Amino acid sequence: MSDPAALDPFGFMRNWVTQWEKLVNDQGAEWLAKPEAAQAMQAMSGAAVKLQAASNEATARMLAAANLPSRADVEALGARLAAIETALARIEARLPRSEGAQAKRPAPKRTRKPPA
Amino acid sequence: MTAEASVLDTARADFERVLQRNLKGLGYLASPAPVPGASAKDVIVSRGPWRLYHYHPLVDEVYRVPVLLVMATTNRGYVFDLAPGQSLVEFLLLRGYDVFMVDWEAPRPEDRHLGLKDYVEDFVGGSIEEVAAVTGERDVSLVGYCMGGVLSVMWSALNADRGPKNLAVFTTPVDFKAMTMFQAWSDPRYFDVDQLVDTVGQAPAEMLLTAFDMLRPAGRAAANFRLVDNLWNDEFVKSHRMFDRWSNDMLPLAGEYFRETTKELTWKNGLIEGTLKIGGRPVDLARITCPFLHVTAEHDHIVTTAASDPLIELVGSEDKEQVVLKGGHVSLIAGPNAVKRMWPKLDSWLGAKSV
Repeated sequence: MSDPAALDPFGFMRNWVTQWEKLVNDQGAEWLAKPEAAQAMQAMSGAAVKLQAASNEATARMLAAANLPSRADVEALGARLAAIETALARIEARLPRSEGAQAKRPAPKRTRKPPA
Repeated sequence: MTAEASVLDTARADFERVLQRNLKGLGYLASPAPVPGASAKDVIVSRGPWRLYHYHPLVDEVYRVPVLLVMATTNRGYVFDLAPGQSLVEFLLLRGYDVFMVDWEAPRPEDRHLGLKDYVEDFVGGSIEEVAAVTGERDVSLVGYCMGGVLSVMWSALNADRGPKNLAVFTTPVDFKAMTMFQAWSDPRYFDVDQLVDTVGQAPAEMLLTAFDMLRPAGRAAANFRLVDNLWNDEFVKSHRMFDRWSNDMLPLAGEYFRETTKELTWKNGLIEGTLKIGGRPVDLARITCPFLHVTAEHDHIVTTAASDPLIELVGSEDKEQVVLKGGHVSLIAGPNAVKRMWPKLDSWLGAKSV
């Protein structure tokens, strides 16, 4: 008699993928936990960060030469805007709550008890 | 039924699935991902990376004590509110809770200076103040997930005199030395966190996503195969797309916050060793005395039970409980496993303590 499961074209793949996934996860994790793997990953990551630092520096010099605002200038502006947002939030918080969207809906009673 | 008929029926069903796979596969490629977020809400705070939402109640009578969910800082909070019927927020609203959530946005360059003190005192603590202002209730139940749980635990330890009334956390790491993969990758001999933060200003989302992916190197490829295999199944596809979108939608972390969590938690294991100070004040988990629930996942590959288990011993509460449920780091809080296991557990624990 034919095995009905054998007719499913994905049946074989399903089992194979499950086994492959376990194998790769187990062995991959084992390898990735080794100091050599961490060293290699962080060496690549560190090189990318150094490259970015050099690029930041070069861009800052170009922007300064062109008399354009640098990233630091834009960040400083952003920080000032954030400070204004914070001050606005403080002012907003002092406004009566009834003026906000909260008051437009009737507040539910806070008397609920858990089911017995 | 004869064996021949059974084989024919199976073959017919398989053929039907192959057909549906192909037809729906085309539809999958052509359609946008479902938009997550099911429940109506007001945005109470939107400042820097900090968001505070208040969800519209779905019943006329709610528990006296509001619930404040605190999302993990690397991910967006819509995992708690994916779609109707798949939303912890909706579940809690229907069970009669007044629900708020601390959610996160990507920090902007000028947010690079935000550190643990900002996240714990200003964002979690500030949210608690806002919840009190909106509801008129001083009591609140804090419910944190992963690093959101860590922030909730830290705030509770630093402010034991002011509450919270109840503290529930899910898959919350406390022994960072037990997170062996993250320990290996952030080995201070090879990982220069100062160089990264000083240069980039934040921990990039791509770097964090790669780290999470590497915990299960074959996970993404296997998930894609399972998607193709189940293309005929609309529910599977919808669920896959929502979770896939969420897990890829990672947030960068503010520079100082990442530097401090790396040095104080990952390297010094400050919560276990008792060396962590926030704003100059020691974080002593024994000072937490409110009712405490810790839910962990049996198959959590991100926050292993070895990393989360010691929390229950460290907390000073007399009324405390740890529950280990089936599932993984995400399936514990969302999806069919969560609907069946964690959500009812949270409701049964919290309801009696919310009056």
